[in-house]
Amino acid sequence: MSFHGACDILFLVLEIFPDMITLLATAAENPGLLESIQKTFGLNTPFFIAQVVNFILVIIVLKKFAFGPVGAILEQRKTRIAEGEEKLKRIERQLAESEATTAAAIAKANDEAVRLVNEAKDGAHAFTEQKSQEAIAQAQQILAKAEAAAKADRDRLASELKREFGRLVAVTTSQVTGKILTAEDQKRINEDALAKVEG
Amino acid sequence: MRFLSLTSICWFSGVLSTFASEGGGHHALPLNAQRLSEVLPISNSMIMVWLAVALIVWFCQAATRKMAMVPAGFQNFAEWAIESLYDFLSGLMGDHLAKRTFWFFGSIFFFILVSNYLGLIPGVGTVGWNVTEHGHHQFVPFLRGANADINMAAAMAFSFAALWFYWALTENNLKGFLAHIFAPKGTFKGLMFMVMVPVFLFVGVLEIISIAIRPVALTFRLFGNIYGGEQTLESLMALIPTGLQPFLSWLPALPFYFMELLVGFVQALVFTLLCAIFLKLICDHGEEEHH
Repeated sequence: MSFHGACDILFLVLEIFPDMITLLATAAENPGLLESIQKTFGLNTPFFIAQVVNFILVIIVLKKFAFGPVGAILEQRKTRIAEGEEKLKRIERQLAESEATTAAAIAKANDEAVRLVNEAKDGAHAFTEQKSQEAIAQAQQILAKAEAAAKADRDRLASELKREFGRLVAVTTSQVTGKILTAEDQKRINEDALAKVEG
Repeated sequence: MRFLSLTSICWFSGVLSTFASEGGGHHALPLNAQRLSEVLPISNSMIMVWLAVALIVWFCQAATRKMAMVPAGFQNFAEWAIESLYDFLSGLMGDHLAKRTFWFFGSIFFFILVSNYLGLIPGVGTVGWNVTEHGHHQFVPFLRGANADINMAAAMAFSFAALWFYWALTENNLKGFLAHIFAPKGTFKGLMFMVMVPVFLFVGVLEIISIAIRPVALTFRLFGNIYGGEQTLESLMALIPTGLQPFLSWLPALPFYFMELLVGFVQALVFTLLCAIFLKLICDHGEEEHH
């Protein structure tokens, strides 16, 4: 407090003091003043005590039936709101953590997927190559077999043709010459004829 | 505009009828409450106190019978009223004091409010009988507004005074309480301190007188406003000429009923507010906390 503040208080005291003195002096000069006020306004002890009791009754009633239950529910609601706020913050925190975890998992899964796709691509390529080679080998085998079979058929047909040709030459020669051919003649004629056909 | 026109008409008719009703039989509301029982200290204002208590109990029962986390109806209104008052007091006195004393301030406010409004019900203060004592004719109403009885206003004010001492002592302890009243406020050194000690001792004496006068002031403020309001309404009703009184006596008083609704609320608030401020002043540790 400054010096001016103190002076203000002093001034106020000196200003109020005479009024108070006058008031107290008036009360002292009129001893019946208080009784007169009491009588005029009907202020009396039994009524005053009865009204104090009534007022205490009001307080008890209000405390029991109004402020107690309503205060309890307000407190309960306040607690629930605070808990709700806390839960909300926790959920937000968990959500953020979860989002971060999910993002990391997605990134990891993405990497894994890329790796798997590449592996699958490589595997498929190798498999295709292997299968192609196998198919080529099989085709070559089939071709070789077919060629061998065709060669065998051709040889068989050629020998049958030779045999049939020799028989026809021998029959024709025998019919033309009117001579019965020996086995040796037939052999010689066949060989000549074949040599000429093949030559 | 229509309301103003109606008010003006009422006023003019009231003023005109003042002359007409001179010498008419107007029953002024007596200053003191009347005793209804020879044995028990029961007055006509106490009946209104009990009615107010009954109304408050009924309302509280209705509001708190089925308490739900999501409020509705009476519960909603009760919660709104109580929470608003609590927040108001909490802003004024701080949360600690508000929590500790709300049962008292809440009771004071709602009781004064309900009592004031019950006192405005037609018939309260106006329906009664005439008695003759020592040659004096006196009108005794059956019912009287609870706060239009000085005993009720004094009961509340002096109950507060007693509680004020209790709270002041428990919040400050005796040394702090006396220091609050007598010790110099601020930091003085040397000669200034020597000068200020007697000054603040004298200020402390004035403070004690002020504290002693507070309940008296609270009593007469509430009583005066409520009694004055009821007296005004009765006087205005008596302005109508005697022959027309059964039909039109309500007319001049009508605009003032709206004012009395406001006065009833304002007086409840003022009484509560002043009590709260008086308590806050003695329990204020702001300066110490600041240091």
